[in-house]
Amino acid sequence: MIEQRFKCPNCGEIASFFGNPGEQMTVSCTACNSKGRITIPVLAQNNNSAIEVSNLKKVYGDLTAVDDISFSVKTGEVFAFLGPNGAGKTTTVEMIESIREPTAGSITLLGKDIRTQFNEVKEHIGILPQEFHSFERLTVRETLVYFSNLYKKKADVDEIIQSLDLTSHKNMLYRNLSGGLKQRVGVAISLVNDPEIIFLDEPTTGLDPKARREVWGVIAGLRKKGKTVFLTTHYMEEAEFLADHIAVIFKGKIIAEGTLEDLIRNYGKSSTLHIKKCKNATDVIEMLKQEGYDEVSSEGNGDIAIKIDYKERVLEILSHLRHDCIEYESLDIRRSNLEEVFLRLTGSKLTEDKQ
Amino acid sequence: MNLKIVWMDFIYSVKGWYRSRGGMFWSLAFPVILILLFGAIFSGVGSSKYTLYIQDQDQTEMSRGFNATLNATKLFNINIVKTDVNVTSFIKEKNIKSLIVIPKGFEQTIKNSFMNPSARVNLSFYFDPSEQTTTQVIRSVISSILQEMNKNLSQGRTIIGVSEISTITENFNFIDFFLPGMIGFTIMQGAIYGSIERNTKYRKDGILRKLLTTPITRTEWILAKMLFMMFLAALTTALITIIGILVFGMTVNISPLVIIILIATSFLFSGMGMLIGRFVKEEETADTAAGAISFPMMFLAGTFFPLEQMPQFLQTIAHILPLYYVNEGLRNSMIYLNQTESLINGAVVIIFAAVFFITGVLLTKWKED
Repeated sequence: MIEQRFKCPNCGEIASFFGNPGEQMTVSCTACNSKGRITIPVLAQNNNSAIEVSNLKKVYGDLTAVDDISFSVKTGEVFAFLGPNGAGKTTTVEMIESIREPTAGSITLLGKDIRTQFNEVKEHIGILPQEFHSFERLTVRETLVYFSNLYKKKADVDEIIQSLDLTSHKNMLYRNLSGGLKQRVGVAISLVNDPEIIFLDEPTTGLDPKARREVWGVIAGLRKKGKTVFLTTHYMEEAEFLADHIAVIFKGKIIAEGTLEDLIRNYGKSSTLHIKKCKNATDVIEMLKQEGYDEVSSEGNGDIAIKIDYKERVLEILSHLRHDCIEYESLDIRRSNLEEVFLRLTGSKLTEDKQ
Repeated sequence: MNLKIVWMDFIYSVKGWYRSRGGMFWSLAFPVILILLFGAIFSGVGSSKYTLYIQDQDQTEMSRGFNATLNATKLFNINIVKTDVNVTSFIKEKNIKSLIVIPKGFEQTIKNSFMNPSARVNLSFYFDPSEQTTTQVIRSVISSILQEMNKNLSQGRTIIGVSEISTITENFNFIDFFLPGMIGFTIMQGAIYGSIERNTKYRKDGILRKLLTTPITRTEWILAKMLFMMFLAALTTALITIIGILVFGMTVNISPLVIIILIATSFLFSGMGMLIGRFVKEEETADTAAGAISFPMMFLAGTFFPLEQMPQFLQTIAHILPLYYVNEGLRNSMIYLNQTESLINGAVVIIFAAVFFITGVLLTKWKED
């Protein structure tokens, strides 16, 4: 029995299904419920993972920058390697890119061991190094042609320019581009050999929110084309917005891994229902507490926050409010996000350290 | 090795360079400005002191007295040539303008002249006929000293005379000295700073990391960059030479040996730049370090001024500087046409180039720690 991920042709949701190699089955999408037939590929195990990292370790003197981590990245997914500065993200990605030598551990890209077969892999990967800055005095198009000429396998440069919305800048010198455009060119460079795996090391660091959104749009586009994207970032919202799978790295170790949903479910707080400008707020809080809601708090101005574990609770609360004819201005439900997950994860870790 | 990649990288280097005002200025405009400036300042300006070489074959009190008298005029920088040196080839090699030989038996003849009225001794005065002013000054000073000596020795009868020997060395002046030095210096600067840029800026900007993950090999990359350095060297040499010929009417010889020295110079200083970039990792600091190495070397290696004008200990230092051999090699092969000196200096440049370039490549860290 092996696991295979499929993307729903209707809504784009990715879901995992289990089956034997070659087995055909009818499945329904977990998000939009539309039905379809899938075939579990033969040799899916091999084809399935673009990157396999096991027991990877990097030691600098007394410092263990990357501490025995293992993970795998499946073909076609956006894998976010999330962690604060100095957590070991770049060290890890540069070991996978064969720029740094690991102290221990093994890495395979597309089924090939990079220690012995990296030259064969080169044609199939595209990387954007951290804080990448290309040749100053070449135009955007020349830069892409330059890098494209280094490969045997080539994508159409003009197509890349068009798809990354660089057409109006293609004759500008690289040095005259804005930060956001430079990063877009950086991503474009990583695509010149039509790679199967793309590594983007902190692609939006230092960009303003607008430019960051633009780069996100580009990365989302890569995912649509079925590219495997390995993204390192210290922006929670970037990982939330883009990633199919997130690994949280902290002090050289992966401390949590899974889909966004997994992480929030496993490590996040439950959602919170906020009642805005509630009349008789004190009475309402008292009433809710009596009904068994432990975590009810006043946020001043008649605002009330109530922790809820599962969504049916919302309906219960609403029926209480209606029953007692309580007036309020608005309601909203806030889901726990990665930021909270991360604070919780690293916070608890730090507390452990203190003990 | 994929030569297409090498050529492509070379073409893009040229493109980038062509668009860089700084690059164009330092490799073309700056040497031209210096050549024109120095050429204008120093052409036709004689120094207030004349350099005079003396070979004292007599080594007696009388001959030393003659030297002392010349020295006392304070008109000359007097250089003593050892007695075992062959004067004719010495003049040719060192491009000497004026040299006096005091023959053996100088004192004896003068002593004999009291008994034998027909005794006579001649000093030999080697001079460069093209150096008219210098020759004229030296000739008149010598003749007035001799006149005085003859008067004292024999009431006017000529005992000590001068036989003048015109040396047929070519007329070399400052610009002849300066032009090859300027070529060597410009190539040095281009190679060192270019190499530093690739080893510091390209590293910081992630270009080296990026290239490590593409199919270009280290050999292809280095070869492409050296091709570019040689292109710059050729361009610089051509431009400076043309100025020399058109503006200063120089005769410049471009032989295969000249080209070999130019290529070796590119490799030599590219290797030096790699070593600087290897140990000083920040671009600005590395540039400062390069300046701290290349500027003193420029002065000490006799780029702008002949070494003979410098104190002895500085001349000794010059002999351990690679640029000195580049300068001498280029001068001898391009201007003085001294085959032996060209070959010796050329060989030293090639050895320096091999050592610096190979250690540079070997010590450069291509991967990250």
